Amino acid sequence: MSETSPTSADRARDAILLNMGPQHPSTHGVLRFVLHTDGEIMHRAVPEVGYLHRGLEKLAEQQTWAAYMPFTDRINYMESMFCNQAWAMAVERLAGIEVPERAEFLRVIACELNRIANHHITLGCMSMDVGAFTPFTYLLRERETINDLMEALCGNRLTYNYMRIGGVAHDVDRAWIAALEKFLDHFEPICDELDSLISYNEILVKRFIEVGVICQADAVAWGLVGPNLRASGVSWDLRRDQPYSVYPRFDFDVPTAAGARGIEGDCFRRWLVRAEEMRQSCRILRQAIAALPEGEIRAKVPRKLKPPAGEVYACVEGARGELGVYAVSDGSDRPYRAKWRSSSFSALSIIEHISPGLMIADLVAVVASLDTIAPEMDR
Amino acid sequence: MGALRDYFAAIGRTIVTLGDGLAVTFSYLLRKPCTIQYPDRTPEPVVSMLPERSRGFLEADVEVCTGCKLCESACPIDCIHVEIAKDESGQRMIQRFEIDLSKCMFCGLCVEACPAGGLRHSHEFEGGMGDVRHLYVSFLDEPVPPAKKGKTVEPKPLGSIIRARLARPFDPYRGDRPASGARAPLSRGGEP
Repeated sequence: MSETSPTSADRARDAILLNMGPQHPSTHGVLRFVLHTDGEIMHRAVPEVGYLHRGLEKLAEQQTWAAYMPFTDRINYMESMFCNQAWAMAVERLAGIEVPERAEFLRVIACELNRIANHHITLGCMSMDVGAFTPFTYLLRERETINDLMEALCGNRLTYNYMRIGGVAHDVDRAWIAALEKFLDHFEPICDELDSLISYNEILVKRFIEVGVICQADAVAWGLVGPNLRASGVSWDLRRDQPYSVYPRFDFDVPTAAGARGIEGDCFRRWLVRAEEMRQSCRILRQAIAALPEGEIRAKVPRKLKPPAGEVYACVEGARGELGVYAVSDGSDRPYRAKWRSSSFSALSIIEHISPGLMIADLVAVVASLDTIAPEMDR
Repeated sequence: MGALRDYFAAIGRTIVTLGDGLAVTFSYLLRKPCTIQYPDRTPEPVVSMLPERSRGFLEADVEVCTGCKLCESACPIDCIHVEIAKDESGQRMIQRFEIDLSKCMFCGLCVEACPAGGLRHSHEFEGGMGDVRHLYVSFLDEPVPPAKKGKTVEPKPLGSIIRARLARPFDPYRGDRPASGARAPLSRGGEP
């Protein structure tokens, strides 16, 4: 697919090949770019992936349907909850399991918390990659509170393994809900504080504005999803447009940052979309807490689950957009095949397309703004 | 002329927005610090600050183990080894109950599977060892008979079992130390 040695065209224009990564602090994981450049301006940047391949799809074939759940945590450690949910939804659809309402609400609460935590890291890393270190520490502090909440909810801070086939593992109590409300009360003003701290900081704006522009048609053609797609002006959100779980009951906006500074599809718009999404997640959380019904948290599922033969594609709107799993059952207690559709992979693949004419320093901003996570691409 | 005006306007905006940001930063001088000085200056040990569901090292209470081996089959990565065999008098005995904590990924599926409540996650997490093999923990000193269903014992304090076990490292070679470089008997089912 990509060339990692100089072509005759490269030689003709005195281009050199420069390796960025695989061990580079700004590539967000073990990810390598081969830069074709003759100075600061790149002719092309070719991403090389595969350094973090752990065979997670193959591993599914050796596990029972339920025992694969902890592995989904590791597909993307930033949005474990969404991977959990995608897998749980896939198996539930295959086996025809009805999830209790309370469990669906708890899933939404856990997922939206996870989305906020993910955007903390994304925005923090974006600012850090262009040289602002302080916002990263501030956002990490907020994320720490979410980690504490998650630990109280499901026992772990990063690899949650919270969901089960047919529901969730643990119920919440009043004290946890109170802690979550306290966090929301504290966090909502922080969103505005973040704006004055860094979002509209002119130095950051100048680094992001009109950089790495992805036009609407390109974004659709390259399969971008989630905040990256929305920043390009396509208002598409699976929670609203292809409803799953109990999302239709909540009132929330799908931000596209239209009309803000910058142009459609540049890095700054991607920043703004994420900053706004955190507010919208807070809105969903508030509504979910208020409407949390009583009842069971786990459907009755046989210990040796054997879904009937068939195939299913289940997708959720993860923090990076559509996160889907295609699962095939042959009627046995183990998956026949599991294939993940990850948003980072499509986001990374567009870099080769938009890199010509980009400066090397701007590539760092573009990679950060696309919010790619190396383990999710390679799986 | 326009370009020049833009240039100076940008400088002006930079100064104003930098001031905004620094005002936020300055306000933190007056707020309560949230840093925890781990590990030596916490108000109480971190282990006791963790929430109830926190998943630390696994610990097994073999006194209530019925030898059903459900935990072993629930473990996605085969880090639990339970061996049941008859001794000379024909009595069913738990011969081995070992957990490779270096492999364990703290998913909690075994705890959910255990019908006797003999397996739980402690809050212990500080398990730095000089040798990774010392994280291979045996919960048995000698073969014990499996407990009758429904047997209850005085609950032991959380973490006390695993703390005691980690304090005196278990040698997975168990006497017959193979030539150096050979692997410890970690395979499933008890065969070396």
